Formats: sequence, C-alpha cells, structure tokens
Amino acid sequence: MTTSVAPTFTDATDSVAARTEMLFHEQQQSIVKHTDRIFARLMICQWIFGVGLALWISPRTWIGTQSSIHLHVWAAIFLGGIVTSAPVLMAFLQPGKVLTRHAIAVGQMLMSALLIHLTGGRIETHFHVFGSLAILAFYRDWKVLVSAATVVYVDHVVRGLFWPQSVYGVVSAPIWRSLEHAGWVIFEVTFLMISIRKSLSEMRLVAERQARLESLNEHFEQTVVERTAELTRSEAQLRQSQKMEAVGRLAGGVAHDFNNLLTVIGGYCAISLAKASGGDGFRKNFLEIQKAADRAAALTGQLLAFSRKQVLQPRVIQLNDVVRGMEKMLRRLIGEDIELSTVYVPNLGNVKADPGQLEQVIMNLCVNARDAMPRGGKLTISAANVAIDQESSFRNRTLAVGDYVMIAVSDNGMGMTEEVKSHLFEPFYTTKGVGKGTGLGLATCYGIICQSGGAIRVYSELNSGTTFKIYLPRTDAEVQTSQTEVRRLPAGKENILVVEDDPAVRQLAILILREAGYNVQESGNAFEALELIRRNPIFDLVVTDVIMPQMSGKALCDEIKAQIPETKVLLMSGYTDDALAHHGVLDEGLNFLEKPFSPSKFATKVREVLDEPADPFRAGKARGALPASFA
Amino acid sequence: MPKFGLSSSKGDAKEAFAADLARRLLLLSDAIIARSKLPIRTLISFCWLLTVGGGFIVLLNYQESAGGTGFTPMTWPSASALRLARGQDTLIMFAHPKCPCSQASLEELNRALAKTAGKVSVRVLFFKPAQGSNDWTNTTLYRTAASISGVTALEDIDGQEAGRFGANTSGYVVLYKPSGDLLFKGGITAGRGHAGDNAGESALVALILGQDSAIRQTAVYGCSLFNKRCTTDTTTPP
Repeated sequence: MTTSVAPTFTDATDSVAARTEMLFHEQQQSIVKHTDRIFARLMICQWIFGVGLALWISPRTWIGTQSSIHLHVWAAIFLGGIVTSAPVLMAFLQPGKVLTRHAIAVGQMLMSALLIHLTGGRIETHFHVFGSLAILAFYRDWKVLVSAATVVYVDHVVRGLFWPQSVYGVVSAPIWRSLEHAGWVIFEVTFLMISIRKSLSEMRLVAERQARLESLNEHFEQTVVERTAELTRSEAQLRQSQKMEAVGRLAGGVAHDFNNLLTVIGGYCAISLAKASGGDGFRKNFLEIQKAADRAAALTGQLLAFSRKQVLQPRVIQLNDVVRGMEKMLRRLIGEDIELSTVYVPNLGNVKADPGQLEQVIMNLCVNARDAMPRGGKLTISAANVAIDQESSFRNRTLAVGDYVMIAVSDNGMGMTEEVKSHLFEPFYTTKGVGKGTGLGLATCYGIICQSGGAIRVYSELNSGTTFKIYLPRTDAEVQTSQTEVRRLPAGKENILVVEDDPAVRQLAILILREAGYNVQESGNAFEALELIRRNPIFDLVVTDVIMPQMSGKALCDEIKAQIPETKVLLMSGYTDDALAHHGVLDEGLNFLEKPFSPSKFATKVREVLDEPADPFRAGKARGALPASFA
Repeated sequence: MPKFGLSSSKGDAKEAFAADLARRLLLLSDAIIARSKLPIRTLISFCWLLTVGGGFIVLLNYQESAGGTGFTPMTWPSASALRLARGQDTLIMFAHPKCPCSQASLEELNRALAKTAGKVSVRVLFFKPAQGSNDWTNTTLYRTAASISGVTALEDIDGQEAGRFGANTSGYVVLYKPSGDLLFKGGITAGRGHAGDNAGESALVALILGQDSAIRQTAVYGCSLFNKRCTTDTTTPP
C-alpha cells in the first residue's frame, strides 16, 4: 500500500514564513553592513577634519612672545585617532556585528564631543550630535540610538559633576540640568525610534511579498519543467513517428515489388518441386531456392511489421490458446538446456489481435531469451489479467487506463545494460554477432504490439535476467475460430478472372488456378477487367492485385461489388499502403492474401473465398440496381 | 664554522633568556585573561573607553585651567595713557593677538555689548612686543575686535597698560565707573576658548546696565600675555 504525502497548506505557510524571516534578516544585515561602511569612511573623514579644524582654529598656544603647539592639535590627532580607530577597525574587520555598530555609535558621539570642544563649544557644532543620530538611524536598530543617547547623557552628567562650567557656564549646577541638555537628544531619538519601527515593518512586508513571489515562481518553474519534459517527450514521439514513417515508406516501396518477385520465385519453385522426382538432383536445388525465397519473404514481412505497414487480420483470441499452441515448437526452438515454464491463468480475458503476428512476437522474445542464456536457464511465459489505473509512458507510447491482458516472457539470463535498453526496439540494433541477428526481431515485436493497440514494457537487471511484458487491450467479445484451419483441397471448376499488372505474377496465378481445374481469364489492369466483366459477366471470383496503375484493386473491388455483388473478390498484395486497411487493420468484409504466397496457400485461399456463403441482402440489393450494361 | 665558546654561549644564554621571558609573558597574559573571566573583546573595549576618557579629562582640565593675573588697581591708574570715559563706564579688554582662546572672549564681549547698547566705552588692547614686527597685530583676532561696533582696538607696546591694570592673561577685562572706581575684573568665558553663557559675562552686563552683581571678579582663561607668569591677584572690587 502506498500513501502519498502531499504538501499541506500549513507547510506552505510555514515555508513562506521561514523564507520571509530569512529575507528580512538578509536585508537587515545588508543595511547594517552598508551603514558600517558609511560610518567607517565618515569617521575617518571626521578625524581628518578635526585635525584640520584644530590646526586652523588653535594651531599654537602663546606665552608672551613664545609659542608652542596647542593642546587641541595633539588632542585632534591622538584622541581623535583613538576614538576613530576602534570603530573603524571593527567596521572593516567585523561588519554587521552587533558590537561593531554599538562601538560606532559610542565613537561617533565621542567624536561629536571632541569636535564641539575643538570649536570652542560653538552651538553650531552641537548639530553634529543630532546629525549623527539621524545617520545612526540608518542601522534601523533602536538599541544603537540608545547607546548613542547614553553616551551623550553620561557625558553631560559627568561634566556637570566635575567640570560644570564646560557645560552650563557656571561653577556649580544642579544635576537635573543634565536632563535639560539630554532632553533634546531623547526627543530626537524618540522620533527616530518610531521611524525605525515603521521602516522595519515595511521591510518585513517587502520580505513577505518577495517570499510569496518566490514561492509562486518556484511553482511556475516546476510547471515549466513539467511542460518542457512533456514537450520533449512529444518531440521525441514525433521524431520516432517520422523515423518509422520514413522506414515504413522505404519498406513499403521495396515490399511491393519485392513480394511480387518472391511470389513468382516461390510459386514456380513450388510447382517445379511438385513435378521433380524424388531422386532428381534438381529437387535439392529447388528446395534451397524455396528456403531462400521463404527467408526473403520473412525479412520483407519483418520490415513491414516493425514499420507497422503490414496488414493485420485480427480476431478475438485467447492468449492461453496461442501459447499452448506454440509450446511444443518453442521447446524445440530454445533447446534442452533451457527449462520452459508456462503459466496458464484460468478466466484469462480475450484480446483482439492477429494470432499469426502474436505468435511471431512470442517467438522473437523466446529466441532472444534463449540467446541471453547461453549456458541454459529458465524461460517463463505467463499471462494474466491486469487493470491499469494510472497512465504511463514508455518509448513515447502511452498505456492508457483500462483492462488489459498481459503476457510476460521472463528469463534469468545475462540481462541488459541501460545503454542496451535504450536502443532495444530500434530497427537494425543488435547485440548479437554478425550473421546471428538482423536487428529486426524486437523492432518487429514493438511494431506488431503497437499496431495491435497494446504496449510492451521491458524490465531487466544485469546478470539477473529480463522480463518483457506485453499488454493487449482486453475485450469482452467471444473467441472466433479461424476459418483458415478448415483445410480443403484447392480445386474447382468456377470461372475466375485474374487481374494483375505484373505479367510474371499473373502467369503464375493463372498456372496455379488452371492446374487446380478452374476456368481462368486474365487482365493486365482494372479498366480492362471491368470491360471483360461487362461483356461477359460469368465470373464467380475476381482475383486482383491491390496496387496497380490507373485504378487500384480496391477500387475495382468496390466497382464489382456495386455492380455484381454475387461476384467474389480476392485481393492480394505485398504492400497495400493503407488501401485496404485503417492503421494496418483489414477492413471488414474483404478477402485478402498476402504476397508472397505459395501455390497451395493461393489455391486454398481461392477455394476458401469461393466457398464463402453469399450475402443475400447485399446481393439482392445490388442485383436490383444492376445497370443495363451488365444485365 | 668555528664556534667561539664564550661569546657563543653568551649568545645562547641571551636567546634562551629571551625565549623564556616571552613564554612567561605569554603565560601571564593568558592567566590574566583567564582569571578576568571576561572576553578579550570586552577587555579591549574597556581599555579603549579608559584611554578615551583619560584624553577627555586632560582636555577638560586644560580648558578649565585659569590664567594668572597681576594686581589690578581699585581706582583708575593715573599712570595709564588711556583716558577714563565721561558719563559712562570704561571697559578694557587685554588680549594676546595670537591667542586662539581669546576668540571666545571677543565673542562674549560682542554679546555683552549687544545687550548693553552703547552704555560703555570699550577698548581692546593687544599686546605687542616693542621689537615685534608690524605684522604682530595683523591677526584675525585684532581684525575681529576692530570690527565690533563701539570697540576701539589698540596696540599695547610691551604690555605696559596691561601691567598697569594687572592683566597677565589674554581675555582679561576690567570695568571702571566714570568716577574711576573698579567695578569688575576677570574673564568673560567659562573656560579656555569656550564660548557660551558664563558668570563673568552675565556679571559684566549687569554692572554696565547699572544693576548689582554679586560677582565682581572671575577667573580668566587664555594665553599668557607675558613671557613670565605673575602671581594671581585675589583682591575683589568693592
């Protein structure tokens, strides 16, 4: 059980409050340090000014005609220097410290006292005290003002007690007079404190706003990161799609012509094999040709599969049945060193998929598993019903929420590195040696599964093993039995029209059909075929290629179905370019034979189509609309 | 390298002694700091305040150190070349033209004259040595005195008049009635070069205005007019 801990409102508030406090403190420290620097410079200037003042006002003291340097000059230099030195040093060495600003406050007030003294107690110089207090308020620390005011007050009290003339101009003065003089300082300090309080309140407000803004920005940044990741995924998906589209176009282009050639090679080879006697040396050669043609056909098929350009013929199936049907063959395939374990889950859901292609996928995965266990191991094939309750993505393919049937192929082989995993489903990527793999196996699997509306996931641990999981959408429909399993003798007496632009394929088809006993006529294109049908509407079946110049086989089929619905049509192609299918899945009601085909497969398919029951509704409806030209 | 036994051992002993002394001083200072139980910063701050406080005490003491005075006659000295004013009091201030402290005395005089509005005849006599150059009295102080309305600035060669009136310190003031009787003598500042309200200036103003004043004599603060200090005159005008 997993529990998610989402950030609460209280957490967010605490975070903003903590950040506010931090920003406020930072700002306060910045102001204090800045003010420290201001005072350090100001106090040095004051000291120099004091020395200059003493030299100007009272450079020398006189006794008759003799003179000496005035005490004020020495006081300005040394006393002023001592007063200035400590706060300035602290401002440079320890800026921002509490003691530093208090030392500056004390030093500044003492400097005021010295300057007042040097100027002979002039009332104007007393403004230095008030000016200094205002500058000390830059610290925005009321305690600093208290320190400064204390120095002023103590100075007046002490001088009032011991040197009253220097403060009050009289020989003796009551102690309360010190309050009279300090009163104005306290008056100013009071208002400065009020101002400091207000200023601090504003600073805190600004800090709080900034903290809130940062919090908001952080949220925005997170959203931007998520959106960027999403965009990157979409771009990768687009690139992958474009790549597959390009490979698909190439594969399709090759497949069309190549499959025609393979049909001819394979077909004539099969016919020759049937005619060759058992001891004939040519038979062995024909068999090799047949094998090569089969391998070439398989390769073309794989090219079409991974580029998702093949035509799937899906039907509702049970994966347990598919695996059970393959078990014997798989045991032979993986060898004795590897133990095959199959797990059949009761009540496994049905899926709609092309059983042949699915077998191809399972076989590819088993071959890879075998190769991953060169010293033997265990291969497990299991299936299960799975409910996906959260959308997930893998290799730009999203597995939507819903019910699935999952088939897993696991091995305890050498596993894969992250690098290998990242290229796993790319066409022509292989870790096997030269000549041992085409690099199309997993790409084919991926293409077939994607084309079937499913998804494939891989989990691998180096030196521990690999598991491939295939998810196919579950369907509630009933299982359909394959009609192709009904085997009949490929023979008959019906009238068949063969429409094929490739003369070699056309001649092969005619040869096979005539040998099977059918009455066959031929046509090189769709227009000629339509004309033939119009002049002589006797055909029970029209066998036509799909990709033809001027008019496609599908268009011809539609025309025939519209005019003479009882005439059956068998379409054949090595590559249909979606002419017959939507996203590679064959349209309902069409008979299709994939090139290259063997003579027996062709004859069987022809028989199968001819034996299909006619659609009375369609036939009647169409017949009622039969044009005069066909009547 | 050859070693010269005696001198070398002496050098070693000196070095060892110096090292030992340094070590002991270090330990002592550590012990003082440790025993004081005060952080070093507090100690430094305390020392700083003590030094600054000491400096200010020296300054204040200097400011309040009164100058000496001679014997001031209770009646107008007949030997004086100056004439007693008729119908109004006569005020004479003796000043050293180069005394920086006397600027405050002139300021106070100016203030007092502003309050008494021409009820007194004022002369400021600036000490000038007989051998002194013509520039001796060409000072700011002299020009300031001369610029005050109702004040006559005069040179007092070798301080002859100052001697007659018993003035030894710059800023010394005497006030005589038209009858020649002494009304006031002393300084009109609270300290050396320190302007501002003070007992001398208040008493002077009161006496000029014909009011009574308990204070008839004050201390004077300023530079000495003569190379040799005189004893202080303690007699008080009636």
